[in-house]
Amino acid sequence: MTSTKLAGLNQAGPNQTGPNRTSMASQAAPLDALLVEAARGPLRRFLPDSATAKWAVSMARQPGATVRRLRALGGEAGRIALGSSELAPDRRDRRFTDVAWSQNPLLKRLVQLYLAGGKTVEELLADADLTLTQRRRLQFQVENVLAAIAPSNIPLVNPESAKAVIDTAGLSLVRGGRQLVRDLASSPRIPEMVDTSGFKLGDNVAATPGAVVLRTEVLELIQYQPQTDEVREVPLMIVPPTINKFYAIDLSPERSLVEFSVRQGRQIFVISWRNPDARHADWDFDTYVRAILDALDAVEEITGSKQTVLGGICSGGILASITAAYLAGIGRQDRLAALCLAVTVIDNANAGTVSALVDRRGAELAKRLSRRKGYLDGNALAEIFAWLRPGDLIWNYWVNNYLLGKRPPAFDILFWNADTTRMTAGLHADFVDLAMENKLLRAGAVTVLGVPIDLKAVTVDAYVVAGIADHITPWENCYQSTQLFGGKTRFVLSTSGHIAALVNPPGNPKASFRTNDENPADAKAWLREAETHQGTWWTDVAAWLSARSGDLRPAPRELGTAVLPPLAEAPGTYVFDK
Amino acid sequence: MSDELLWITVMGQQVRVSIRRAVRASGDEPVAPTVPLVLCNGIGASLELLQPFVDEVDPAIEVVRFDVPGVGGSPLPKLPYNFAGLAWFLSRALDELGYDRFDVLGISWGGGLTQQIAFQHRRRCRRLVLVSTGTGSLMVPARPGVLAKMVTPRRYRDKEYAKQIAAELYGGRLRDEPGLAGALLHDQSRVGSRRGYLYQLLAGVGWSSLPALPLIRQRTLILAGTDDPIIPFVNARIIARLMPHATLHAYDDGHLGLVTLADELGPLVSRFVLAE
Repeated sequence: MTSTKLAGLNQAGPNQTGPNRTSMASQAAPLDALLVEAARGPLRRFLPDSATAKWAVSMARQPGATVRRLRALGGEAGRIALGSSELAPDRRDRRFTDVAWSQNPLLKRLVQLYLAGGKTVEELLADADLTLTQRRRLQFQVENVLAAIAPSNIPLVNPESAKAVIDTAGLSLVRGGRQLVRDLASSPRIPEMVDTSGFKLGDNVAATPGAVVLRTEVLELIQYQPQTDEVREVPLMIVPPTINKFYAIDLSPERSLVEFSVRQGRQIFVISWRNPDARHADWDFDTYVRAILDALDAVEEITGSKQTVLGGICSGGILASITAAYLAGIGRQDRLAALCLAVTVIDNANAGTVSALVDRRGAELAKRLSRRKGYLDGNALAEIFAWLRPGDLIWNYWVNNYLLGKRPPAFDILFWNADTTRMTAGLHADFVDLAMENKLLRAGAVTVLGVPIDLKAVTVDAYVVAGIADHITPWENCYQSTQLFGGKTRFVLSTSGHIAALVNPPGNPKASFRTNDENPADAKAWLREAETHQGTWWTDVAAWLSARSGDLRPAPRELGTAVLPPLAEAPGTYVFDK
Repeated sequence: MSDELLWITVMGQQVRVSIRRAVRASGDEPVAPTVPLVLCNGIGASLELLQPFVDEVDPAIEVVRFDVPGVGGSPLPKLPYNFAGLAWFLSRALDELGYDRFDVLGISWGGGLTQQIAFQHRRRCRRLVLVSTGTGSLMVPARPGVLAKMVTPRRYRDKEYAKQIAAELYGGRLRDEPGLAGALLHDQSRVGSRRGYLYQLLAGVGWSSLPALPLIRQRTLILAGTDDPIIPFVNARIIARLMPHATLHAYDDGHLGLVTLADELGPLVSRFVLAE
């Protein structure tokens, strides 16, 4: 959901670098860690600290091993100079695909030296006697430095760049330099990743027809125009993430989950959150849950249905779960037909790197920083995330934009990714606290609108979907939701990562998903017994929803009602707020 | 239904634009775009602020509003800009929207921008309306207490503060109804970043239209409030004196007269724009 959705997007960039791919799993950056990091800025992670000192001490303590590594590097360098070294870049490493990297003797040696040096540093790090936290931190720094000093990043040395200079009589470097200055001038200080000029909201993204039927200070509620003669009685209302805009589920036509669902004969309502500013610093769980309840009232008013399926995505899924538990707490769970959660982590235990990246002091500081500003800046989040994946998200575009002087690609997910939003300080603090203390696991540890929240009290059926390659909301954590609710839960594991799991239209031959009728306590056990199905989980959830959405009835002609008339065409007005 | 909102990208910069399509007096049928009226807003204000005025403009006139980069719903520009650069940027934006000729109305800070556009794009800019505006750094300034409150965007961020200073800052009707400032400045508005506001302030540094006014030959309507603490009324007189084809209309209100007195000024501006 966040800018982070790129985690699941390996196929997206123009020419990604390959080598970091495998180590990414250990570099997963769960949402809560990102929320803390983003408030504090990326610079902190680059500065040498006790971990660096510990590494140096560790190397000095075992001089034998260190000298052996360095001697090996020296030997390799000798072979490289003589031209007898076998060292070659990984075939998947897109940085060095140009033939000049292997044919030009100078460039070949340069790449080999780079690879040998990088390997040695990584070996030295592996040898060192470090704690997990220190190791992860140093890995982050080492990977960033190695990604930065790659010979492919150097103008004119990169053969593609040299050719572009000749082809354009140097204009490519002038253009690139100009883009560099522009990108560095303001946050996020990272290369531009997408050419936004080709996209028009409401035209070729967020284009499914519909209307805003409710506008409050906090949200706009969009009702989508039915595209079938008959629709299911029970509507589906989706709570999107509170970071970035809602249209991750309504990207280009034919890639839109909203459009797909409307065509399945479903009555779809989607919340479009206001992009809050400093004036809204106090908005917190209470505000957002209250807003979801307002929207739910409107859905019931418009459809006449006494029940609604509540859907939520990522941080929106957390809000939806809290809302469901709130309704259960006040004895009004009858208003819900079912709960649907996509890429949502409620149980943060063992979320891999959390403990390594975030400590309590850091979390407190993060909350203070966003409080001072009134909000958490979406651009800061984008920046943090980019530095966690420097090969794919920084240096790749460095070469494309600055060395080659080309415009970044146009791609709907990247367009959405760049459309960041702010998060109010109040909500930020609530999310950070929730994650740090894993509060939703204890009944009553969170109180919303005066009602203690107990997820076990939610007894409606739940559908939980996750992506196996998701680094933001690791699937094992998403899976834990099956143990939290009081009703029957269906867990579905899709191929792909965070956002690709959502944007999963039928027709992709590589797409598949796993299901398992049992939900053992251990995610690994679930996976072992799971059955794999070809195709997308979209069709699976469609069948699941249809079984819980009542009978068919004639589709309404008009959107809204006399009391709640259409206020604006979809995608509404809040989506246009930067 | 509200006016149409869209984003356009000009030279890599996204801008939020609102268009109220023109309709024939007889029905709701859209007409071929005639000359649209482009509104340039005051400093720190998002396009929503002008809604009461737009609602009073003759429906036969197409009205285009936008958020200056870094303000309201438009993202912060990468670099600071000046009026000349912004005028050029806007002409590109209007190209993008398919308008060849246009009328421009500017209020306060936007009035400076409007004068720059009229000067720089004399073929494309047909008529101009200057509201509560001056001639830039060479003008009769407001009192220091007023100016001090203008250098921060706090009134856009803090509703209570806005009410508290409304009378002193905006004058006119807001002296009797300071609560109105809260509604006007806050209920529908979008707030940009502090940096966006700073860029707007910087754009005006060292800029003055004074020497160029005699060269602005377009027909011009000047609207000025008799009780405007930010831009003292005498500035309107100076502009009217120096511009060869200007008419001055004084109204009995303050700096935000365009919206607080929209029922009177909307029709007045419409008549000026539609006149042969």
